[in-house]
This record gives sequence, C-alpha cells and structure tokens, in this order.
Amino acid sequence: MKKILQKWSRLILVIAGLALFGFLREPIEDKLRVQLVESNLLLPPPGQTAMEQMSQSALMGTLGGLRSLVAVFLTLEAYEHFSNKDWEQLSQAYAVITNLEPRDEDHWVSWIWHIGINATANMEIDTRLPEFERKRRFYAYTLEAVKIAENGIKQLPKSAPIRMQLAEVYREKLKDNCATSRVYGDIIGLPGEMPFVRRFHGYFMARCDGKEQEAYDYLSALYREGERNHLPTLIVEIKKLEKFLNVPLPQRIPNPDPDKRPQPSSRNKPAPNQIPGGLVIP
Amino acid sequence: MSDSNTTAPTLRPPTAKVPLFSIGRVWTIAGSTVTQLVRMKTFYFLLAFALVVVAVGNFNIPTTPAKELSMIKKVSFGTMDLFAWLFAIVSTALLIPRDLEDRTLYTILSKPVRRIEYLVGKLGGVLFVIAVSLLAMFAICAVMIYARESLFVGAELEAMQADSRYSQEEIAEQLSLIQMQGLRPELGVAVLASFLKASVVAAVTIFLSTFASSSLFTIIVSVLLFLIGHAHTMATNFWLHQTDSNLFVQMLVKIVKILIPNYQLFSFSEGVVQGEAINYVVVSQMGMLTGGYLVVFILLSLLVFVDKEF
Repeated sequence: MKKILQKWSRLILVIAGLALFGFLREPIEDKLRVQLVESNLLLPPPGQTAMEQMSQSALMGTLGGLRSLVAVFLTLEAYEHFSNKDWEQLSQAYAVITNLEPRDEDHWVSWIWHIGINATANMEIDTRLPEFERKRRFYAYTLEAVKIAENGIKQLPKSAPIRMQLAEVYREKLKDNCATSRVYGDIIGLPGEMPFVRRFHGYFMARCDGKEQEAYDYLSALYREGERNHLPTLIVEIKKLEKFLNVPLPQRIPNPDPDKRPQPSSRNKPAPNQIPGGLVIP
Repeated sequence: MSDSNTTAPTLRPPTAKVPLFSIGRVWTIAGSTVTQLVRMKTFYFLLAFALVVVAVGNFNIPTTPAKELSMIKKVSFGTMDLFAWLFAIVSTALLIPRDLEDRTLYTILSKPVRRIEYLVGKLGGVLFVIAVSLLAMFAICAVMIYARESLFVGAELEAMQADSRYSQEEIAEQLSLIQMQGLRPELGVAVLASFLKASVVAAVTIFLSTFASSSLFTIIVSVLLFLIGHAHTMATNFWLHQTDSNLFVQMLVKIVKILIPNYQLFSFSEGVVQGEAINYVVVSQMGMLTGGYLVVFILLSLLVFVDKEF
C-alpha cells in the first residue's frame, strides 16, 4: 500500500511539474511565436481549405513540421499535371502549395502562369473539345488566373513578379489595355521593379480609351527624362498620341517616326529562314 | 580460541565522498552512448541523405536557377529536420531498454554513478550524435548547393555578357537573385533550429522511456506527441472556431498546450531556408527555451528514474 501511495505521489509530482512548466512556458512561447511569425521565420498555420484538400501523406508531413518538403513534392506533382495538361488537378495542387508556403511568390507566379497562360493556350488548340467549350474554359481559366493573382497580392502586397504575371494575363489573354496599364502602374516603386515597367505603363495607357491625354503627358514626361528613353516604341506611341490629340506642330517631338524610316534594301534583309546570329534553319 | 586469535580484516580507509554530480562521469557515459549509437550504424543514413541531395539537385524541371537552388535547400533541410527528430526519438527510446537488456545498466548503477549523471550522459550522447550527423548533412548539402550555384552563376554571367544590352548593374542584380538562394552562412541557423527541435524531442523521449514498459511504446507515444505538438496552433484555431469558443474546448486546449511541448515553434528553419532575415534575439530566446525544456524534462525523468528497481 505504501509503495502504491509512493508511486501515486510520484506520478502526481510529475504531472504537477509538467503543468507548472507548461504554465510558465505558455506565455513565453506565445510571445516567441508572434515574434517568429512577424519576422517571417515561422509560417502561419495552413488554412482550412488546404487542410481539406491535402492528401493524408501530405497532411502527416505538414503536421510533422515538413511543410517545405511537402510543398516541394506537391510542386513536382503539379509539374506532372502540367505535363498531362490536367489543369484542374494542377490548380488544386497549387492551392495547397500556396497555403503551405504563402510567402513564396514563385508559387503564386507559377500558378498564375500555368492557369492564365498555359491552360488558356491549351484551350486555344485542344481540338478534342468543342469550340464553345474551349472558349468557355479559356475565359474561365483567365478569370481564375486573375483571381489567383489578386489572392497572391493580398498575401504579398509588395510583390512585383505576381503583378508582372497578372499584367501578362491581361495583356495577352484578355487584351485589356486599361487593366494592363493599371497593373504595370501598380508595380512602379515596388522592390524589384523592372526598368521597362514605367514605359509599359505608358504604352498600354496610350491604348486605353479615354486615357489618351493622360498617356501623352506621362509618355512625354518620360521622353523628357533623357536620351535613354528615346526608344522606338516610345516615339511611335507619342507620335500616335500627338496625331490623335491634335498637338500643335511646334510642341511635337522632333524625332522621325521610326516606322517611316527607309527600309533596309532586300539585299541586306535576312533570309526568312535566318535566325539572329546568322544561323540558317534548313 | 581460534576466533579470538584471528585478526580482524583490515578495512580500507574511507574513500573520498562521491560528489553529487561529476562532469567526468557524465562524459564517460556520453562517450559510451556515442560508441553504442555508432555501432548501430547510425551514420549510414548519411549515404541515403547524400543520394537524396544528389537526386534533387538533378531534377530536370524547367525552372529558374534561383528556384532550383531553393528546391535543393528545401528538400535537403527538410530531410535533415526529419532525420534529426526521428533519430532523436528512436535512439533515445532504445538506449535505456538496450542497457537493461545488455545488463550494462546494472554495472553502471552498481558503481558510484548517480542516476542523474546516467540520464544526462545518455541524453548528451544522443545530442552529440545528432549534432555530428546534422553537421555532416549540412556539409553534404553545402557542397551540392555551392556546386549548383557556381554552375548557374557562371552560365548566367556568360549568357548576359554575350548580350550587349545588359549593363553591369543588371548583371549584378540578376546574379544576386541566384546568390540569395545559394550557400549563405545564415543556413547554419537552420541547422541549429533542427538541432534545437531534436534536443527537445530527445528530452521528452528520455522522460517517456523512464516509465515506459517497452521501446515500441516510447516510440509510438513520442511520435504521437510530436504530431500533436505540431498541430497545437492549427487544432486550437480549428476547434475554437468550430465550437464558438466553448468553455470545455477551451479547457481541453489549455490542458493540451500545457502538457505537450509546442514543437511547431521550433520549425523556424523553414523561414531561414527561404532566405528570410534572421532575428538573432528570437533565435537566442529559442535556445534558452530549449535549455529550459532539457532541464525540466531531465529533472522529471529523474523523479521517475531515481528509485526505479531493475
């Protein structure tokens, strides 16, 4: 009996010790957790949607503290779906991946690129589907890509690559010059802004109905910044706008229209099967 | 008569008092534990790890160099982390039963060795092997990352220099994108994070093994605790949301949080691997928290182990 009591008292002591340590460490751990999440060293827990979509093995891996590892394997799986042109599965895989690693902008960019560019391009050529269905899916994928990009921007508000990919979707698939210009405009000033973004913002603004005057002012300002901006496309766009807005001749830029320059003689023209570098494709 | 004539056996002079705690004895036990683990062919795992790293370094996926380097790092450090905690559980769970089976435990405890010294020595041995394994794995993956990084930087530099459109600034910017995902000294902190996590796991496992009836029980319970410890925050948010913060659920969550270590906290190696800036103050606090876990769980283990009869 004494032994049992001794054993029980020991057990109570152990539990009390565990509880006391638990009470002491809980506020410290909560504080550390906040600090680790704020300094981006620790990821917030994956969302409910990701948990529901994850396979059992992926879930176990995630619970085992191997989120990055699971994300890498899901990326490989997504690549397989891409090879098989299985766009629904690919999108589902990326939904989980971006939930596991929401701060990795490469995942967001790849997801937008796959759905917005690859899946839509596939819908343009996939003759196994009736044309009506292809068109419907083309727009469905394009809009899905836009939505993915918007979610990505919510997660990473300062991401230039996500916006670049979104601009490509607007530009190449939806042919929406106003939206393209707006997205390029949003990139200006963000870390990692590409040098051409400011010009592209102006080029697409020039093609956006009702924005001609604003585009002219913007592109003219770029032109006045210096010779390095006197690029053929910029000159062409300004000249088009000058004509459209009836800008008085003295105020127009002096450069000749690059499109109206004398064409090189046919002797100097590269052969149609010649690629840059002088290589000829047989 | 004869009894009175026999001389009383000469007693040895009393030996010096056994000190309460001796680093030397702990060191000896830790050393024997390391030998014991090495004889279990633990380091063969490194071969498998090297294969994983080489395989992932040669994935033929059309992606950017920076992304490929990031992928190599994620897989390598994920595998290191997995090895560290799994090894901590399995080796620690096996040590005391193995000593019991080999009867080494009786020999050790019959000597003037205190039980705390035995426990600390065992834990120290396990942690030493984990540290050496992690460093060896880091060296393997560092070689792979450096080799790939040099290759990518060389190829990118050659391609960009061949094209006169790129300025030196643009070339430097592009190369820094790759180098950011390459071999950097900060990655050492990711190894440290895995080590801290494995240390806590080992301390909890040694505590479990002091009262467990078999190694299998210790391993299963340790793995379960590890999974629960990782799902703390996730489960808390989920349950409280599902039950509208029901009082009973709140109490249950509190009990789980108090009794089971929060292992998820120690997964900060993922952020380091992804190239996030390191907050060294928080990292040092994590080190202190790990120290706290080790001390408390060793003391709790002692409480169970101190008068355990074998």
